[in-house]
Amino acid sequence: MQTRRSFMQATAAAATFPTTSWAAAGAPTHLSAARKKDGSYHLVGLRSDGEIAFTRPLPGRGHAAAAHPERAEAVAFARRPGTFALVLECSEGAVLQKLHAPEGRHFYGHGAFSRDGRRLYTTENEIETGAGRIGLWDASNGYRRLGELSSNGIGPHEIIRLPGTDTLAIANGGIRTHPDTGREKLNLDTMQPNLTLMSTEGEILEAAELSASLHQNSLRHIAGFNDGRVACAFQWQGDVYDSPSIVGLYTPGVGLQLLEMDSGFLHGLDGYAGSIATVGEDQIGITFPRGGVAQVIDLKRETSKILRRADICGIARADQDALATDGLGGVQRIDAGSTTPLAQHPLAFDNHLIAIG
Amino acid sequence: MTLRSVTFCCALILGSPAFADLIAVRDNHILPRYAAFAEAAGALEASAETDCTAAAVMPAYHAAYDAWIGVSHIQFGPIEAHGIALSLSFWPDPKDRTGKAMTRLIAEVDPVVADAEAFAQVSVAAQGFSALERLLTEPQANADYVCAYTQAIAGHIAQAARDLSADWQGDFGEIFVTPGAAGNTTYLSPGDADRAVYTSLSTALEFMHDQRLGRPLGTFDRPRPNRAEARRSGRSARHVVLSLEALQEMTNAFSEAPLPEVNSAFTAAIDRVQALEDPSFAGVAVPAERFKIEVLQRNIRDLQVLIADDIGAALGISAGFNALDGD
Repeated sequence: MQTRRSFMQATAAAATFPTTSWAAAGAPTHLSAARKKDGSYHLVGLRSDGEIAFTRPLPGRGHAAAAHPERAEAVAFARRPGTFALVLECSEGAVLQKLHAPEGRHFYGHGAFSRDGRRLYTTENEIETGAGRIGLWDASNGYRRLGELSSNGIGPHEIIRLPGTDTLAIANGGIRTHPDTGREKLNLDTMQPNLTLMSTEGEILEAAELSASLHQNSLRHIAGFNDGRVACAFQWQGDVYDSPSIVGLYTPGVGLQLLEMDSGFLHGLDGYAGSIATVGEDQIGITFPRGGVAQVIDLKRETSKILRRADICGIARADQDALATDGLGGVQRIDAGSTTPLAQHPLAFDNHLIAIG
Repeated sequence: MTLRSVTFCCALILGSPAFADLIAVRDNHILPRYAAFAEAAGALEASAETDCTAAAVMPAYHAAYDAWIGVSHIQFGPIEAHGIALSLSFWPDPKDRTGKAMTRLIAEVDPVVADAEAFAQVSVAAQGFSALERLLTEPQANADYVCAYTQAIAGHIAQAARDLSADWQGDFGEIFVTPGAAGNTTYLSPGDADRAVYTSLSTALEFMHDQRLGRPLGTFDRPRPNRAEARRSGRSARHVVLSLEALQEMTNAFSEAPLPEVNSAFTAAIDRVQALEDPSFAGVAVPAERFKIEVLQRNIRDLQVLIADDIGAALGISAGFNALDGD
C-alpha cells in the first residue's frame, strides 16, 4: 500500500534520479561486495535462493554496503581506509554518484539510510584528531554532503538504524588508526569502545560500555532486534588466548553485557568475530572467519549451534532465517534446525552481507 | 618449467585441480600417524599402570607426546568432531588454566581421577600432555594422588588416540577422499577436502611462527623464555622439528608434482632448529642466540608464503580473504 508519505518520497526521488524498484533489479534480497577470480571487485546482489541477481563493478575492494529502503540503489563502501563510496543504480548498473570523503576524512566501510530514505549516514575518521565522525548525505538530492556529527567515540565502524525506528546505533570500536601507518593500531592501551544510540539529529540517547577491564574488546559490528536490543560482535585486542567472550547484547535499561562462550570454542577463534545478524526475534547469528565457523545463539532457549565453513564471514537475516556467505564463494541458509548450502559462485564474498529492506 | 605452469596445464586438461592427492594424504600420512599415536599412547597408559613414578613414565610420555605433535596439525575430521584437541594439549595458556585446574584437583584430592568418564568432564586444561608434563617434572607432595592422576591422564590420552585412529580407519577415511559425492555432508563440494588440508598446513605454520616461536621471543626488550611450549620437559624445539617433519610429509603426499623449493625450505628450517641446540628456547634472552631464533621465525614465514604461492594458488584457494582482512 502506498501511503501519502511514501508517495511523496517517491516523487521527491523521481525529481533527482530515474527510480527503479528492487524488483526491477532482479529482486535481490541481499548485497555483498566480492572479488572475482580475475582480481576485479564488484557489488553483487543475491536472491534469497543464493543465486546472483546482478553484478556491478567497483573501482577497488569493497567492505559493506547500504541498501536504500525503497529505490534499487545501493551505496558500496570502500575497504578501510578508503575515501570512496559508490551509489549504484542496481537494475541497470549505472553509477549514480561517487561519494568522496571530505578533505581530512576517510570512510570506515559502513553506512546506513534513514527510515524515509532521505539521508545517508557514514562512519568516518577525522584523521588529524582521530575523532569518530558520522557524515550526513542528502540521499534525496544527489547525495550532497550536508554536514557531520560526532560519533561519540574513536573508530566508529558499523552504523545501523534500529528496525522500525529513527534511532541510529553506532559501534565505536575505540581503535585509533592513521592512513599514514595503514591499519596500525595506535592506542591499544587506552582504547575505550562503546555502543552509542543516537537520534538522527545527533542527540546521544545512550552510550553503553563494558567494564573497564574489558576495554580492549573492540566493538565492531552490530545488529538490531525489533524490541530495541542490539547484538554486538567484538574483536579482542589483547592476547588472543586470553580472550573474553566476543559476543554481547545490549538491552535497553540493562546495558551492554557479554554472552557466555564455551572456553574451548573461544580458543579457536583468534579473538575475532567478523559479522553479526539478528535471526528472528530471539536469535543471533555471528561469524568467526578466523575460526572458520558461524554460530547461531538462541537467547530464549540459551542454546547455540555451529556451522563450520572456511572463511565464513557475511551473515544477514533472511525472513526468519539467515543467509551466510564466505570467501570461497559459498552461500548458505541457516535456519533453526539446519544449514543448507544454496549456491557456490566463482567469487570471494567480502566481509559483509546486507539484507535489503 | 616451473611448478606453477605444470599444475596449471594439468588443471586445464583435466578440468579440475590435478594437484591434490587425498588418498596419499590419508594412506601415507594420516592413517599411519594416527596408528602410531594410538600405539604410543597405549604404551604410555601401560607404562603408567605398571609404574606411575615420574622416572618410569618419562620415556613413554616423550614417545606419546612426539606422536601427538606429529598429528596435531591435522585439525579436520574426527579431532574436530570430537572437539578434543585442547584436552590433549592445552597451550598457549596465558592465564595458566592448567596450573589452576591442577592445583584445585590436587588440593581437594578430587576422586574424579579414579573414574575415566568423570575425568573427561574436568577442565580440558587439566586432562592432557600439558598437565602430565607438570606431574612428571615438578615436585609433588601427595604421591598416591599424583599416581592416580598420572594414570587418569595416560588413560584419557590413550582412549582419545584409539578413537581418533578408529574413526579415520572407519567412515571418516572414506568421507575425506570423496568430497562432493552425494551424501557427503562434511565436504560438500569437490575442493572442500583440499581446502581442509591446505588450511591445516597454513594454520600450522602460522601457529609455529606466532606461538611456538613468537611467544618465547616476545620483544627484544622483554623476551619471554618461560612462555615456551613444553619447556619443563625440554621439548620446545623438538615440537618445532616434529611439526615441520609432519608438515613436510603431508605436503609431499598432497602434491602430485615434485616440490624441490618447498622441500629445501623445510629441510633448511629443520636444520636451523637442530643447530640451535637449545631444547627449551632459553636462548631468546641471549642476544646472539636470539638472533638465530628470529631468523628461524622468518624462515617459517617464508615457508608459509611459498606454500601459499605454490600450493594454495595452484589449487585456486584464496585462503583467508576475510580471515586475513581484519576489519
